[in-house]
Amino acid sequence: MMTNIRYLCCLLTLAGLFFCVSPVLAEETVCIQCHGGQEGRLGAPVAAWRESIHAQNGISCHDCHGGDPTDFAMAMSPERGFLGKPGYTEVPAFCGRCHIGVKEDYLASAHGRALEAGGAQCVICHQNHRVQKASIDLINEESCSRCHAYDRAKVIKTAVGGTDRMLASMETDLKMLAKQGIAVKTMEDKTFALRNDFHRLFHSVDVEKVRQETTSFQERGAEIQTQIDAVHDKLGQRKLMGGIVAGLLFLASLICFLMRKTYHQEEEAQR
Amino acid sequence: MFKKLYRFFEVRLGIKDILEQNLTKYLLPYNVNVWYTLGAVLLTLFAIQFVTGILLLVYYIPNPAEAFQSVDRIMNEIPFGWLIRYLHAIGSNLIIIVLLLHMLSVLFMGSYKKPRELTWVSGFILFNLALGLCLTGYLLPWSQLSFWATTVATDAAGAIPMIGDGLVRFLRGAAMVGDETLGRFFALHVMVMPALLAALVGLHLFCVRRIGISRPPFGEGYRPAEVQDHFHHEEHPGGIPFFPNYAIKDLAVICFFLGVLVLVVFYAPGLFIPPDAFVPADPFTTPEHIKPEWYFLWAYQTLKIFPNEFLGLAAQGVVMTALALLPFLDRGKERRPGRRPLFIACYILGILLFVAISVWGHYS
Repeated sequence: MMTNIRYLCCLLTLAGLFFCVSPVLAEETVCIQCHGGQEGRLGAPVAAWRESIHAQNGISCHDCHGGDPTDFAMAMSPERGFLGKPGYTEVPAFCGRCHIGVKEDYLASAHGRALEAGGAQCVICHQNHRVQKASIDLINEESCSRCHAYDRAKVIKTAVGGTDRMLASMETDLKMLAKQGIAVKTMEDKTFALRNDFHRLFHSVDVEKVRQETTSFQERGAEIQTQIDAVHDKLGQRKLMGGIVAGLLFLASLICFLMRKTYHQEEEAQR
Repeated sequence: MFKKLYRFFEVRLGIKDILEQNLTKYLLPYNVNVWYTLGAVLLTLFAIQFVTGILLLVYYIPNPAEAFQSVDRIMNEIPFGWLIRYLHAIGSNLIIIVLLLHMLSVLFMGSYKKPRELTWVSGFILFNLALGLCLTGYLLPWSQLSFWATTVATDAAGAIPMIGDGLVRFLRGAAMVGDETLGRFFALHVMVMPALLAALVGLHLFCVRRIGISRPPFGEGYRPAEVQDHFHHEEHPGGIPFFPNYAIKDLAVICFFLGVLVLVVFYAPGLFIPPDAFVPADPFTTPEHIKPEWYFLWAYQTLKIFPNEFLGLAAQGVVMTALALLPFLDRGKERRPGRRPLFIACYILGILLFVAISVWGHYS
């Protein structure tokens, strides 16, 4: 009985997760069905969301705004947990429900400390519904100089650039290996964790902190890179062996054809 | 010791005589060409499938919850598991290529004609069985590719009026591809179909050996043989001994194809194993542009060309039936390609159509 209940709980949890993250079902929520058909201010968020990193990962309206995505009548009812649109200063807490680590570093940063006075919060850099994937490209003169001079941001961007490129290169490498059926899950998880920790770091917008901690991130990255290199070495050895075996087979084929030629000459001589 | 053992069997089985009759005294037409080696290549490739299939069976778990992980384990943890899996998966594609070449050469040389109808029909069934083995084997890794390609393939049967829905359910064992589908495809792939294939290979070889190898219809001296109304084994006096004279050519071509197999396995496995094959099956997420394997693309596209799927299936059925019964439809005794212009025109158009529809299917 107990096992059955546990099984049911697991099933419900999995079903819940599925409803939370599936991009297929995200398309079917009543929020999208209703707002997607509207024009102007009420419909624009859906079009913007479709281009977001959230949409790519199956994060839909109700995952942030709450409510019931299956019931037209109750979709925006506070009884079903609808939160609506957060106020300007509520945004970090709103996003921070999922992005917990980043929220901590942000609140401790100059941006976070200035929040009440109108300091930049999440959507200023990442946009709201068209949420962009976290990347150091978001640190740029056009964006930063809306509020302050770009100099300090440029220094931070330079400091984190090398590590960010290393992480991006490792992610590309791991994707390529995964497409070949190589087990890279552990390395992907480590890279993902490293990337998250690293992105937390530059939300602190503290140049000294970034410089001090970059070394430790690069060491962690180098450790993963060593594992990736080992996989590449193994694949290289495989190719070398395969090349030798294929070469030997083609050589054997050629020798057999030449032998057949001598038999053919004998047959012709006998005819 | 070895001599004693040999004498023991020689006295009881007449081994020397068997070997002489089937190797050194087995004469082939003097102008036998390289296309005749494809049968030996196929036997070698089937043997590789058999051995690698058994090795995969040691670690494979035919259960949707564990199938993908077991294949992942084979690929990453079992020593040389990746090699065994690649040889099996890529070898199956090579088999279809060689089977097509073998059939095309038989068609071109008119070797399917009387009295070799049974050889052709058994070979044609073997070809379809090989396709069936590919289809059933495709599902076993339980990847996104497996799941959705099988969903698309089994779904096509639904176009048949009256029995379509029931047939889809019968093929899948349920309304959707799932546990039941994997169970029955596994049983078909590892037991039923290999047993049938072995029996048919035996019948095919028996037919080839019993009626005799056909003489290539080329050269000035060639004249169409008079077809007898009674059994007649076609002899080739003055021909070349199978062993060693022709066996060495068999070996040369076998080594060549094995070299190609090894090259693809080590350098370009992605040609036949796309990235979706390494993503676990997810019944709730349909991958973009899901397509069947290259050898089913013509059938896939045919279904889309016709106004409805039933007409597409009917067209496929007509083509396949006509091919199966070709020796009974094309009854002329002429085998020289130059003297069969209508057949050769259809032959070339057929190949072009197959390639064009497949390419269309790939890009559609």
